[in-house]
Amino acid sequence: MNIRDRLEARSAHYSFRAKLAVVWILIFVALAVLFAAFRFDTAFMLQWLPFILAGVPLTILISIMGILLAVPLALLGALGRLSRNPVFNGISGFYVSFIRGTPLIVQIFFIYLGLPQLAQYAPGPLQGLFILGTITSGVLALGINYGAYMAEIFRAGIQSVGHGQVEAAQALGMTRTQTMRRIVLPQAIRVSIPPTGNEFIAMIKDSSLVGIVGTQELFFRASKIGRQYFQNLETLVIAALIYWLLTSIFSYFQGRLERRLARGYVREGGGPHGH
Amino acid sequence: MQRLVSLVAVLGALSVISACGGGSAGGGDGGDLLQQVKDAGVLRVSTDPAYPPQSFQTESGEFKGFDIDVAEEVAKRMGVEVEWQTPSWDVITAGNWNGRWDLSVGSMTPTPDRRKVLHFSPAYYYVPAAAAVHETNTNITDPETDLDGKMIGVCAACTYEAYLEGSLNIPGEYEYVVDDPQVKTYDTDSSAIQDLALGDGARLDAVMSSLYTLKEAQKAGTPIKVVGDPLFYEPLAAAIDKEAPADPQPLVDEVSKTIREMHEDGTLTKLSQKWYGIDLTERQGA
Repeated sequence: MNIRDRLEARSAHYSFRAKLAVVWILIFVALAVLFAAFRFDTAFMLQWLPFILAGVPLTILISIMGILLAVPLALLGALGRLSRNPVFNGISGFYVSFIRGTPLIVQIFFIYLGLPQLAQYAPGPLQGLFILGTITSGVLALGINYGAYMAEIFRAGIQSVGHGQVEAAQALGMTRTQTMRRIVLPQAIRVSIPPTGNEFIAMIKDSSLVGIVGTQELFFRASKIGRQYFQNLETLVIAALIYWLLTSIFSYFQGRLERRLARGYVREGGGPHGH
Repeated sequence: MQRLVSLVAVLGALSVISACGGGSAGGGDGGDLLQQVKDAGVLRVSTDPAYPPQSFQTESGEFKGFDIDVAEEVAKRMGVEVEWQTPSWDVITAGNWNGRWDLSVGSMTPTPDRRKVLHFSPAYYYVPAAAAVHETNTNITDPETDLDGKMIGVCAACTYEAYLEGSLNIPGEYEYVVDDPQVKTYDTDSSAIQDLALGDGARLDAVMSSLYTLKEAQKAGTPIKVVGDPLFYEPLAAAIDKEAPADPQPLVDEVSKTIREMHEDGTLTKLSQKWYGIDLTERQGA
């Protein structure tokens, strides 16, 4: 009998959850010991916590605006990819392929630094559209970038609706557009909402890239203070913990939303015969 | 119909976004840049708040430092408020700000390259550029001879990079004494200093920066030390984009006039004493 088997036998009367809790507690104790060993400047961290926290509203604002832009773009992209219209299909195909094939940071710089060079060719009143502020540039880049990724999610959602339903709708005399709007999309959206939540959570993290062009969001504040006082480790740990907390909170709500949307599809009372 | 709905949604989202971002870009609504600033009552100034004691942010997010005080005094004398912008240094020195901000009061040296794209005010102070090594280093004592061929960290698009490349071209007397350095560039001075602090020769053998940036790092406990005499003195001035959407010349004249007045009435000397402990507003030797 090796050690592992003996440990398993000894601890058999403790629940798995209890063991899991012990592991997590040990991880945190180990981290705390590490912090202490490296003489983490906790006074410094507490001193600058409010300053870094003040970037959170902007981080969340950028993410919410980004996802609001991404959803309609993704829907258009998905419909385009499924469309039999070669122009619509071609444009969506290019959009999804090009945006997914280029780095987000390049897209942010393209909009913030590259686009203004085109302003001189635009008629006067439209020039402002080419010269965007850091926040606007960031939101646009995030929205366009995530729209391309989410187009694939929405496309999968649309394709998940059984073909029999489409045929039934057509048998009832609905046009293709009516079928899409009344039968397919409502079901596709239900399937697409949980992954959209995941994308929003990912976007909270990627919004840190917008800090690089000088937006005073969470990461910008953390990195500036870290550099200024040569205590990068401390401020980056603060930033990491805040991002983790934010994504954990939104993951919790996303999980609840997912269960709520699945309610109609889970058989009451559970049992072995779910589908 | 379906497509129309989505299209409307996209346009709606776009208009929300442009509403929140609009208004910041200076449109061509008549008048020169100075007039536009006065009409708005706001002077938008760029600064990199990672350079104490020139420019940094407090816990409450307030901007502080020598550059900050100078800019605020300039704005006060123009009868307007300052709004701070924090783009990265290379974006500021490249010009073509597209009207995103009006003025840089960021301790910038008027080099010939920058003069091509930016208007400069008279210098508002002068700082020595110096070299620093890790505190355990013993073989670099005189930067005039010991830095040859060494790995030296500097900020990208800075005067120190130009100096090491032998392409610095500013008023004053100085010699290019460092032969064949390996230049490593960083986004900002403090990143280079951080890399130097990792150990003697770990990533860098030396860093070149403003003497006061190096001293400030030393004061913060970074294990580096300044070696030898300053290599050159750089005049530092306020800058305005030549390609600004509205005619920048009246604003250049106004800022230049104000800085001359602040030299004469002792305001700059007082501010220099406050932040550096000595008067840096006169050109020094070297």
